[in-house]
Amino acid sequence: MKIGKEKKNDLDEINHKFLSETLSGVAILHDAVTQFIEDRLEKGVLDGIIEAEHKCDEIKDKYVQILFKDKRALPFLVEDRYNILMMLDEVNDKMEFFARFLKVNPFKLYDDIKDEFNELCSACSQSVEKLIDCATLIETDFPGAYQLTFEVEEFKRKARTAKFNLLEKLFKKDDNPTKVYVTAKLVTYLYDISSWSEETSDYLRGLIIKYPNR
Amino acid sequence: MGAIEIIIIFLAISIIISFGIGANDETMATLYGSKNLTMRELLILATIFAILGAVLLGNAVAETVGKDLLNEDLIIISNSIVLTILISTAIWLILSSALGLPISTTHATIGSIIGIGLLLGGDMGVNWLSILEMSIWWILSPVIGYIATYYTYKLIHKFIINKLSGFNNFAKTEKKFSYILLVVICWTAFSRAGNDCSNAVGIVVGVGIGIETNLLLLFAGLSLASGVVILGRGVIKNVGTITELHPSTAFASEIPTAIILFFGTVLGIPLSGSHMIVASVVGLAKSRRAPTKKGLWKIIAIWLLTFPAAALLSVLLFFPISLLGV
Repeated sequence: MKIGKEKKNDLDEINHKFLSETLSGVAILHDAVTQFIEDRLEKGVLDGIIEAEHKCDEIKDKYVQILFKDKRALPFLVEDRYNILMMLDEVNDKMEFFARFLKVNPFKLYDDIKDEFNELCSACSQSVEKLIDCATLIETDFPGAYQLTFEVEEFKRKARTAKFNLLEKLFKKDDNPTKVYVTAKLVTYLYDISSWSEETSDYLRGLIIKYPNR
Repeated sequence: MGAIEIIIIFLAISIIISFGIGANDETMATLYGSKNLTMRELLILATIFAILGAVLLGNAVAETVGKDLLNEDLIIISNSIVLTILISTAIWLILSSALGLPISTTHATIGSIIGIGLLLGGDMGVNWLSILEMSIWWILSPVIGYIATYYTYKLIHKFIINKLSGFNNFAKTEKKFSYILLVVICWTAFSRAGNDCSNAVGIVVGVGIGIETNLLLLFAGLSLASGVVILGRGVIKNVGTITELHPSTAFASEIPTAIILFFGTVLGIPLSGSHMIVASVVGLAKSRRAPTKKGLWKIIAIWLLTFPAAALLSVLLFFPISLLGV
């Protein structure tokens, strides 16, 4: 009946793999941004982010296959797990996009915005980490996962503050417009990761609230 | 016409009516709606329990339905009358099954009996007191089903679903419900087969043509199963999708139906399982504040049409059947 124990274990295992790979992706992203801030960025580290995203895509495909293999699983649970997977995958896509953008033209970051950039990067990484914790916890503990959604939101707020501080400084600069534009874009792309993490956590919160009524 | 020919005709008609009942059997609908089993698995299960229920539980109601409804002081229950009632019931059942609409076999049978009673004996041809006694149950059973399901779901929600935390817990709990649901539905199918097959063979028993009741019930069980397998899918799908079902919610709608039907069969009360389960599923939707699918009016309309349509069919069929001289 329903999902067999073996399939359930497969699902748990693959979910765990996907979340772990996303976490390793965000850890590499953090390293890359730290190197970028310290003007010692190696392109190889950016390739690590891209590679992590590719691995996540592969795991995602297997996940989807397992998810839809059992026609007896609760339809809403399958649908919700699928939606969560797709939203988390978008986090990976955004990290990959940031890495590819930086890889095209790695440049030297303005010294006076390095602190804010570091703050943005930290907030971004932490929001993704909290989101992954939340996605893990939603399997077993709704109240715990619910609490984490607010923490993701908090980190997104920090990222937003850092983003606008950075943009304010950037737009006041009397420098090469291309560099200002590219830096602003980089800031926006980094912030987008955090922003999407918050959207995903909002979705999770919605699920937690409505689940008892399903 | 000789006794052998009459027995063959009655057996054939009994098989046809059982087929019609099976085709209109929606017992497995909630199991289908909650995706516990595939249609194929459902049909195998339905077959097993149709035969078991017919043979092991079919006797009690057979005696009740076959008697008491026609005023025997005015109407001598001839073979033609019995055939007319059975054929018109079967036709109406098969027609509604073809449309995928669940109706009450009991209502169709009694509608046919009323038609014949009115035709042959006027107002006095029908034992209205017996009909009235039964009709109280027909009205009460869906009402009880609706109310019981409404509150059963509220209780399940308050004490079980509301306390679950995490997707895994939901999946595990629903899995447990799916096992219980399977048992409950098998029980329902079992008791219902007993009840429904009694309708098919009851009037034959009532007329006393000397066919062994158990043999009749076995044939009825087999053809009931054939009806479910060949034509029953539409009704199962239709009822199973009235509202979104999960094992826990399907369980909440099946429990009252199963309990009431079981006791009805044991006590010899001809209940309408179709009305009860449809009312239960609607009660569930109301309790969950979930939408019901469009087209529910078609089910209500065919319920209302069943008595007059079956009565009309029996009136139309009586004279041609009488000419057969059975």
